[in-house]
Amino acid sequence: MTDVYQAIRRYVPVWVSLLVGIALWEAAGRSTSAAFMVPFSETIRRLWQLIVADDFIGQLADSAILFLTGFFIALLIGTPLGMLFARVRVLRVGIEPYIMILYATPLVALIPFILSMMGFGFAPKVLVVFLFAVFPVLYNTVEGARSIRPELVEVARSFRTSEWALWREVMLPYTLPYTMTGVRQAIGRALVGMVAAEFFLSSTGLGQLIMGASQNFDTAGVFASILVIGLIGVGLMRLGLVIERHFARWRN
Amino acid sequence: MTESAVNVPISLVRAPKSQPLTERLRATFMPRLITGIVILLVWELVVRALAPAYVAKPSTVLMAIPRVITDPAFLKATAATLTAVAEGLAIALVFGTIIGLLIGRSAAFDRAIRHYVNGFYAMPMIIVLPLFSLWFGYSSATRIATIIFAAIFSIIVNVADGARSVPREYMEVARSFRSNRLSMLIGIVLPSSMPYLLAGFRLAAGRALIGAVVAEFFISIGGLGYYILYNSRSYHHNEAFVGVMLLAAFGIGFELLVNWSTRRFMPWYRRDEKAN
Repeated sequence: MTDVYQAIRRYVPVWVSLLVGIALWEAAGRSTSAAFMVPFSETIRRLWQLIVADDFIGQLADSAILFLTGFFIALLIGTPLGMLFARVRVLRVGIEPYIMILYATPLVALIPFILSMMGFGFAPKVLVVFLFAVFPVLYNTVEGARSIRPELVEVARSFRTSEWALWREVMLPYTLPYTMTGVRQAIGRALVGMVAAEFFLSSTGLGQLIMGASQNFDTAGVFASILVIGLIGVGLMRLGLVIERHFARWRN
Repeated sequence: MTESAVNVPISLVRAPKSQPLTERLRATFMPRLITGIVILLVWELVVRALAPAYVAKPSTVLMAIPRVITDPAFLKATAATLTAVAEGLAIALVFGTIIGLLIGRSAAFDRAIRHYVNGFYAMPMIIVLPLFSLWFGYSSATRIATIIFAAIFSIIVNVADGARSVPREYMEVARSFRSNRLSMLIGIVLPSSMPYLLAGFRLAAGRALIGAVVAEFFISIGGLGYYILYNSRSYHHNEAFVGVMLLAAFGIGFELLVNWSTRRFMPWYRRDEKAN
């Protein structure tokens, strides 16, 4: 009985808040011009149309492929590189400020260069997603590496641990939780990179969908696309948090 | 950094941080300098060997710097972008702080809008551009709106975190002296969430810069982002790259400013990055 009560206390406010939000959206949409804002019901109807009539699912898949390719290349390069920097102190000290600089630089500013050098293919877009995602991974992995106590490495070495075992038993478990913080940040950034690439390089996927809708003054289409991308953003962020928390248990 | 040394046997505690200057130079400055030189050299050589002549490389970028920073068009563009970022950040800071305090201190308010704040925060901010350009037209209003949208949610989320973590005793003492809610909010909650506010502001500043650049790309209005876009389209990559360097300098400048003021004004506060 208390469980039910708990569940009610937990979920009822959420649903009430969401329903009130939708109602406000609906009311605002009905009372303003359709070019400015469309009600929730209209947005959903348009979304359904896009799914049934237009190639919405195909666009979604295009975007997903771009996102996943760039993101996993960033992960595959960022993690081992970060750990290498962690292991070789001179490298880490030397490269740290440069990683910091690139981490703090608004990398969107590089898109015009990528466009004029690499053109409109798939590769430049992957490069954009990669650039957005790799620095959080790298930065946090190196940050994690700094947290390894040198004593651990020293003890391991005095027991004549092999380099491979050292990586597996010390480096990996100690840096991975930090890497996962980087992964969570990288998910958000890669999503921005994906949309930016689709806006400013060749138009494909969800970016094209939303651009097309906006150029045709199809406000309902714009709202529908934003709703979908927003929900994807929330979902991916949740996923990132879950992954981060899972590995955070290793931290002590 | 040496926090963990507390529970380590004495014999294993590292040497104290105050090494002589020459030692520090050898240990940190030299590797950094050498890495920097290597990066620039590799960049220069790769571009020279493989890329067309217009592609930016360190030597030509260096030569473009004096030309660009004396160019009135560049200065005007920089001023336009910076003004917009400052205005947008100021607005985001004021409203973000107010909303964040409300969320952090009022359970009802928190329940009502938490999911919206988190939802907007998780949204890749640049997808609102087509909508904003429909709403505000191809004008600087769109840029300001984008900057505010990009910046405000990281401030709200962090201030709310800060407001939630005010020690309960403070509030209890204030309440037993019959202080009213508003003065508690301004006198206790706000100062005590200051470090969180600064952390949020640091994130917001970075996001605001991105928002400004992206908006200028999208609606082609004068500013640093548009300067970069225009010059790289007309194959003036060196000039455009000076713009990128300036943006990077702003990004890093904000970062350093916030870190410095956290250390300077809140020396008791040592929290790991609340970066997002």
